[in-house]
Amino acid sequence: MLKEYIQGVRSLSIIGMCKNAGKTTVLNKLIAELNESRVRLGLTSIGRDGESTDLVTRTAKPGIYVYEGTLVATAVDMFRLSDITREIIYSTGWPTPMGEVAVVRARSDGSVQLAGPSMTAQLSALVDVFSSFGADMTIIDGALSRKTLCAPTVSEATILCTGASYSRDINVVIEDTAFSTALLTLPRQESFSEAELDIPMNGKIRFKRADGTVEQMKDGLTLAEALRSREYADVKSAYITGAVTDATIKPVLMGGAKLKGFELSAEDGSKLLLSHDSYEKLLIRGVRIGVRRPVKLAAITVNPVSAYGFHMDPKLLLDSMRAAVSVPVVNVESKDED
Amino acid sequence: MAMTFSQQENIGFRYVINSLSCSSPYGQARVSKLRFFDPNEIDELKTQLSNVCRVKDTLTTLSFEYGRLQRLMMPMKDIRRSVMNLSEGALSELELFELKRFLLQTELIAPVLEDVIAKAHIEGIAIPAQTEALKIIDPEGSRAATFFIADNASPELKQARREKREIEELIRKETDSAERARLMALRSAAAGKEDAEERRIRREICLSLAPYTDAIIDCMDNVAELDFTIARAEIAVRYGGVMPHFSDGPVEMEDMVNPRVADALFERERHFTPVSLSAPVGATVITGANMGGKSVALKTLALNAMLVKAGMLPFAKYAKLPLFGGIFIVSEDLEDMDRGLSSFGAEIVQFNEVEQAAAQTEGISLILLDEFARGTNPEEGAMIVRAVTRYLDKQPSVSVLTTHYDGVAALASAHFEVKGLKDMDMAKVAEEIAASDGHIKGADIIASHMNYGLYRAQGAESCPRDARNICALLALKDEILKDI
Repeated sequence: MLKEYIQGVRSLSIIGMCKNAGKTTVLNKLIAELNESRVRLGLTSIGRDGESTDLVTRTAKPGIYVYEGTLVATAVDMFRLSDITREIIYSTGWPTPMGEVAVVRARSDGSVQLAGPSMTAQLSALVDVFSSFGADMTIIDGALSRKTLCAPTVSEATILCTGASYSRDINVVIEDTAFSTALLTLPRQESFSEAELDIPMNGKIRFKRADGTVEQMKDGLTLAEALRSREYADVKSAYITGAVTDATIKPVLMGGAKLKGFELSAEDGSKLLLSHDSYEKLLIRGVRIGVRRPVKLAAITVNPVSAYGFHMDPKLLLDSMRAAVSVPVVNVESKDED
Repeated sequence: MAMTFSQQENIGFRYVINSLSCSSPYGQARVSKLRFFDPNEIDELKTQLSNVCRVKDTLTTLSFEYGRLQRLMMPMKDIRRSVMNLSEGALSELELFELKRFLLQTELIAPVLEDVIAKAHIEGIAIPAQTEALKIIDPEGSRAATFFIADNASPELKQARREKREIEELIRKETDSAERARLMALRSAAAGKEDAEERRIRREICLSLAPYTDAIIDCMDNVAELDFTIARAEIAVRYGGVMPHFSDGPVEMEDMVNPRVADALFERERHFTPVSLSAPVGATVITGANMGGKSVALKTLALNAMLVKAGMLPFAKYAKLPLFGGIFIVSEDLEDMDRGLSSFGAEIVQFNEVEQAAAQTEGISLILLDEFARGTNPEEGAMIVRAVTRYLDKQPSVSVLTTHYDGVAALASAHFEVKGLKDMDMAKVAEEIAASDGHIKGADIIASHMNYGLYRAQGAESCPRDARNICALLALKDEILKDI
């Protein structure tokens, strides 16, 4: 049962490694399981998802089937693609390309199309709106190729969906998922206080020295140059605003600076656009990698069936994934647990 | 109104408007589309102004009621466009939801407002509870702040929903996926019937509501007026608004305040000196020291005349003025500079335009000239201002000019003077400037000694000679100063 992994969670997000990773299947399963335990759900998405045919790959896609009493936040243009009996209970005033986002209460079972707000602040406001109307839990459907982790950072827990649709090569599926998992589950950074990170600075990189002073890295320097320089010899940690890329990190690795005990941190796991190789090398050199907003990854689901017409051995996929990560792994298709 | 946006900004009018805080989008729309009253609308203006006064006088005693009205107006959305479309029968669920919320608010607002109207004697504002219209959109009388078409809205709807529900029960229990798919298809058909019937009922609701369109729109306009009235009363309390008396020409203002200037001074820990001024029909001249606040006096008069025209209380202890047909100000304007005119040329062009506009405006106009013709040589400049003053003094408008030039005041019907540095002890101020050692700007020290009051000039004809004193205090190069 999926719901075991999310007990007591007030808000959950579901994100996929790729299209057709089984996100909607997971969502439907959860909805059904939670309905049996009489959990009152609030449902929304980041932007649009949940079409009955996939707009990108044109493969058949299951709709989201909800039960009476569920609260749904979606753009008004999605109403005509939904067939629940609706009671409109709240209007948010947030415009989307598909109309304003409104909150409805399902007065019958039926399928819905989700097109929620796209801003982090709006998503967290929605969690409160849902609970003010009596929802016990909010589920946010994260959309494909959102590079930002806005859903996981506003929700208390996340489920990551992966599977055969990601690659024909099972090793690639396992390796890349494990790497994404590692980035998602990076620990909270320990060097800077929240207040120190809130100080507005023009530059992307801020340093903390051994004596505790926080300052912006001088303009015109690269991170590698700064870490080599005498001026910054006592810098013990760096926080990077925005993306952390190989272009920044590779010179640091090649530059011969002493990195043991150094902490490198970013806003959240999605900002680390590092190659697997650079990531491993940082760890080997003794760098601690942290994030400002850690994500609680509750489970990984695997889908052995690809939308493009081939299957992987369910047991092999499940076992290899379990060996590669330290997070619970579940097969979306199986009725029993293995 | 013949005043440009930058002039409105310049006299501090926009500052006041931006300080108004309305609770509802209806009130906010009323503020962003300000209405300026024409002389023939004076009766309506008087009603509005006395309403503002009555709200102002009861803001403390009825603070709970006003607070409640504001809270009831706050969550509103401007849905006038949807309401105007009722007769077409095509409002969406969300639009009907918003409309129902508005109608529900009228039921909550009506009793509070009636109470306030009775206690504060407000006239001409009414927001009756839209109970009849509400019955159409909420036939069950549940008064829930949600929109839902109940099963018994029509037998067809009831039937479609029952059918759908029966299939849903089966789907819940069905484990076989093929059978489940078959049931889903059946359910889809039932849902289609439900949808069509709901659409028909929504259309019916819209058409039944259509006869109430005018009444609902009227409620919304009254919400705007109520909201705007409370906001006007609040700002009048903040800056000291007073009910004006209307004259057939002469202006008599006592202790006027200009909030923008007052707030800016307050931030620098200084006080605004209230401006008192009487101006008959004809020309009035203000002379006085540099830095003495002549321009501020002029702007403050323009601001308060403009506020009255926009339906707001003037900020003063006492105010008597006509409802001006037009309010015009001639001053150096950056826009004109952009048109490629010199500052002097621009002023002349502006004056021509103002003079023509004033002549075409119904009723009395207020014409304000700030240091007219200052940009040309003093000899000719003085001659020009004298001629203009002589001309304006004969016109049926109220004109106020500030000037440095001699021999102008005698040609006007009234002459005011800024006291300025006349009573100041030069040596003492010089000492103070030296003592501050540059910590406080010389200009600020002079300002703190400046007497900004306007006084009716008694016989004295020539303009005061404070410019040289100010130059000395501000340490103009000795070599130059000796030469002056």
